[in-house]
Amino acid sequence: MNFKSLLYLVFALLGTTALQAQDEDFRKQAPEGGPPPRIEFGEYQQFKLDNGLEVIVVENHKLPKVTLQLLIDVPPKAYGDKVGMASMAGEMLSRGTANRSKNEIDEAVDFIGASLSTSSGGAYATSLSKHKETLIELMADAILNPVFPEEEFDKLLQQRISSLALQTSDPGYISSTVSDVLRYGAEHPYGEIETKSTLENIKLEDLKTYYQKNFKPNISYLALIGDIKPDEAKALAEEHFGSWEKGNVAREFYARPKVPEAAQVALVNKDAATQSVLNITYPVNLKPGTDDAIVANVLNTILGGGLLSSRLNQNIREDKGYSYGVRSTLQYDKVIGYFAAGGNVRNEVTDSAVVEMLGEMEKLRQELVPEKELNSVKSFIFGSFARSTERPETAARFALNIARYKLPKDYYTTYLKRVQEVTPERLQEAAQKYLLPEQAYIVVVGNAGEVAEPLQRIAPVLIYDNQGRPVDKAGLSLPDGLTATDVIDQYIEALGGKEKLEGVKDVSMTMGASIQGMELTMKMKQKATGKMAMTVEMNGSVVNETRYDGEKAMVSAMGQKQVLEGADAEAMKSQAIIYPELEYAKKGYELKLTGAEKVGDDATYKVEITSPDGTKSTEYFSIESGLKLKAVTTQEGPQGTVTITNSYSDYTEVEGILFPFETVSEGMAPVPLNMKVSEVKINTGIEDEVFKVSE
Amino acid sequence: MTLRKLFFLLSGALLGTSLLAQDRAIEFEQLTLDNGLDVILHQDKTTPIVAIAVMYHVGSKNENPERTGFAHFFEHLLFEGSENIERGQFDKYIQDAGGTLNAYTTSDVTCYFEILPSNQLELGMWLESERMLHAKVEDKGIETQREVVKEEMRQRYENQPYGTFRIETLKRAFEKHPYQWPTIGSMDHLNAATEKDYVNFYKDFYVPNNAVLVIAGDFENKQVKKWVEQYFSTIPAREGSFYRPDIQEPALSAEIRDTVYDQVQLPAVIHAYRIPSIREDDAYAIQMLNRVLSDGESSRMRRALVDEQEKALAVYNFADGTEDPGLSMTFAIASAGTDAKALEEAMDAETAKVREELISEQEYQKLQNQIEASFFTDNASMFGIANSLATYHTIYNDANLINTELEKYKAVTREDLQRVAKQYLVPGNRVALYYLPKPAQP
Repeated sequence: MNFKSLLYLVFALLGTTALQAQDEDFRKQAPEGGPPPRIEFGEYQQFKLDNGLEVIVVENHKLPKVTLQLLIDVPPKAYGDKVGMASMAGEMLSRGTANRSKNEIDEAVDFIGASLSTSSGGAYATSLSKHKETLIELMADAILNPVFPEEEFDKLLQQRISSLALQTSDPGYISSTVSDVLRYGAEHPYGEIETKSTLENIKLEDLKTYYQKNFKPNISYLALIGDIKPDEAKALAEEHFGSWEKGNVAREFYARPKVPEAAQVALVNKDAATQSVLNITYPVNLKPGTDDAIVANVLNTILGGGLLSSRLNQNIREDKGYSYGVRSTLQYDKVIGYFAAGGNVRNEVTDSAVVEMLGEMEKLRQELVPEKELNSVKSFIFGSFARSTERPETAARFALNIARYKLPKDYYTTYLKRVQEVTPERLQEAAQKYLLPEQAYIVVVGNAGEVAEPLQRIAPVLIYDNQGRPVDKAGLSLPDGLTATDVIDQYIEALGGKEKLEGVKDVSMTMGASIQGMELTMKMKQKATGKMAMTVEMNGSVVNETRYDGEKAMVSAMGQKQVLEGADAEAMKSQAIIYPELEYAKKGYELKLTGAEKVGDDATYKVEITSPDGTKSTEYFSIESGLKLKAVTTQEGPQGTVTITNSYSDYTEVEGILFPFETVSEGMAPVPLNMKVSEVKINTGIEDEVFKVSE
Repeated sequence: MTLRKLFFLLSGALLGTSLLAQDRAIEFEQLTLDNGLDVILHQDKTTPIVAIAVMYHVGSKNENPERTGFAHFFEHLLFEGSENIERGQFDKYIQDAGGTLNAYTTSDVTCYFEILPSNQLELGMWLESERMLHAKVEDKGIETQREVVKEEMRQRYENQPYGTFRIETLKRAFEKHPYQWPTIGSMDHLNAATEKDYVNFYKDFYVPNNAVLVIAGDFENKQVKKWVEQYFSTIPAREGSFYRPDIQEPALSAEIRDTVYDQVQLPAVIHAYRIPSIREDDAYAIQMLNRVLSDGESSRMRRALVDEQEKALAVYNFADGTEDPGLSMTFAIASAGTDAKALEEAMDAETAKVREELISEQEYQKLQNQIEASFFTDNASMFGIANSLATYHTIYNDANLINTELEKYKAVTREDLQRVAKQYLVPGNRVALYYLPKPAQP
């Protein structure tokens, strides 16, 4: 080998080594991104039919699909004691038209593999483009020719009442309801809330009126999106919506909601809750399309707009571990907007979490946001925007917003540029205008007994009920020297007196209840020696039977039988006793008088009762009558804590003793169970055989 | 115009239509690196985004029966970081780049994915190559994710009404096959496992020759291939064969019937029928039968059980679509006041009908229309396409099924549907499970 070839060899070896070293290196660091791509916006065409309907067409042939979106810009209106009628009217549109029954509509929609839904503000439908004629015909039929069948109305009303019942015990739902009422006021369209009684006030006629007054083409926008040509779209819109008659739609005006003068805590008590639902909120006067709106959106993303790296999440979740996640929201439309920040936190850190969250808001008012953090958020907004343009529906949404909010035509094409221009100084300016930690409603749905006192150090605490009505605590104070035992004694007296109650050797009671149209009959027998038997009948046949003979218990349901012994049976002992109150002292129950509160319209004393086996209940006794109006019991089940709330009313005398003839029980079933007593018999000499537990 | 010219025009028009149909074809390029990594590229420049999916051919069925839950556990663990990515930074990289990421696990596969603006494609490829080459599988991350998975177990299974239905069904439906345990596995197994067990599982399955990398969206062909080469070609392949259980589960000799008492308010009835592998043609017929029964307001069970008889609050029919023979299930929740038995009789009446009578021409056409529409919904996004390509490649070894699968459905006749219903949707071939409310705990 000559020198030269050796040299080559060395070079070659060196070269390889160098290459390998480079191999290792490129993995060590994240690659830099290329220059940001240009984001194209779906072009759209817009024209108006003679009846005033604005039509928007977004042509995109990538997929053989079309989407139709009809937006009826119904002016906000307060519906008073009939809240819920607008959304019910919307749902009824696709439950029967002059041309088709509900079944026929369902069949026609499914046959072409489509979907169609209607609401108080329009309709939405999608299908393959080859079925577009059928799809638009079905949608137009629902919008132009609804007949509001009575039978469908009854069905829908029942469904709405049941689903409302499911929601009203959900702390998240309570939080959003109370927040609405506080932010906007109960008279404002956005502050009105749906209740069982507002639903029950609604008549079929109201839905028809809602429809006739508001469903007009001259306040509506129809978007045709996807695999459709503008000419074709125009012809279809003309053909199916051209005959829709225009008309005036009345607009009502409401006072603009104001932020509170000072921060206040609005506490809604949820007995036995282990977590608080927090919501720091107030109305915001921010309008779509303004420069402020863009800056405020960036600000909200930094504070808590859904990112794991947001300031709220970094502080509350990552640093303190107070919660699984917290977030902030900024929403606005033509009428008004709101700011909200919150999440679920453990009882013992409720006040600390509020302090930290208000602190993060204040910090953005006081300090400039570092450039690095701002840039990261800007690129996140850029990426979300880019990803959203994958769907042609995004282009239609932009077009609809431009039309109804009267935005400049280039609003969205210049959106990212304006996001890019946001500076730390502008953010601070916006923070001082829109983040108002000292003028916020701090809505807390939680265990008042545990969280109320610490919250008082942050702001005055006012108590609200779950419909956002202030609970009047004025005049409700505990008289000096009153004890829990006094309250219980008054209760025993009110029922008929100690002597009368002690004379009860057995009780047989028949109760009826109905769940979603099914009738239940419950027969309960108790013996003063501590035995009980209960059957539940449905349509005449027994579906559940429980017996307790003083030692063993037996539960049978749906033909399956289970015998409980030991601790499981022991727990039934307290249920078997007819009047446990008579033996509170003897059996070692712990009683604590914890306050005076309103239950509905009645002033009550609140007593916490702990049984010898550790079961806790909170009971409310009317100050006026002495009778028990409510009992809240918390039980540890194998799947976590179950809270059962019983409300007692319609006390009726039977042989000198008062019995509550109506009990509403919440927490046992998905909907509140309303039980009415039809018959009570005392001392009929029930045989022990009735309570016998067979193996 | 001569007749001949007219003929040409007509055939031209016809040709145009069929070309249009071909336009809808999802084109892709497939290559295999020397280390065995399959790569599928689907270019679509209509939106400046890319979806990256890496599907590993490992699911809960590849687990040691004494160490169940590993595949799903790795879905958590492999976000913990790598030799070059610090703990907790995986998400942050994607977020700063304006992207989004996630992963899922089934009994057959595990899939990791990102969706990014197109200028950040290289970042996504780097992250996935780090995950494949040298992810951090060590005690600290294992400890953290064990707690997270326990929370997931509580939240998604234990504290969810009927949340345990899959666990309860699987353990009765399979005695031998690993489909008997759920993807989340056993908390005891995860607790008992050592760092070494986890490292071995990583080395066994998370290797290029057990994976497919799919990139769909806006990229330059040459550039993306260069990056594929750069980031993935030097990741070492695994020698030897992969553990793929070859376990035949014997047919049921009779219906298995049982009751689960749970913290639920309303009874539920579950029918789980044993069905063939998703790779068999009959699997298409089973999917179709499920649609006949409960897809849409006008489907048979929804109309009869929910609307007309008001016996059910909700009813669903679905097949898991597993690589080995698996299950097709009916899950129905009784309305208040209906007992499980009455609900089951109503369900059985509908299944009997599809066994005893041909479905109507009209219903058959509806079915085909629904299938066609859902194909375009599934493949409407870049991620949807990437996921379909990865699945077809991994399970069927035929990514082009994305373009031909509709034909498979079209080939199923009404007679096939009846035959398949008669063969599989029979009581002797199922597990029937009642969920009943636990007697009120005193």
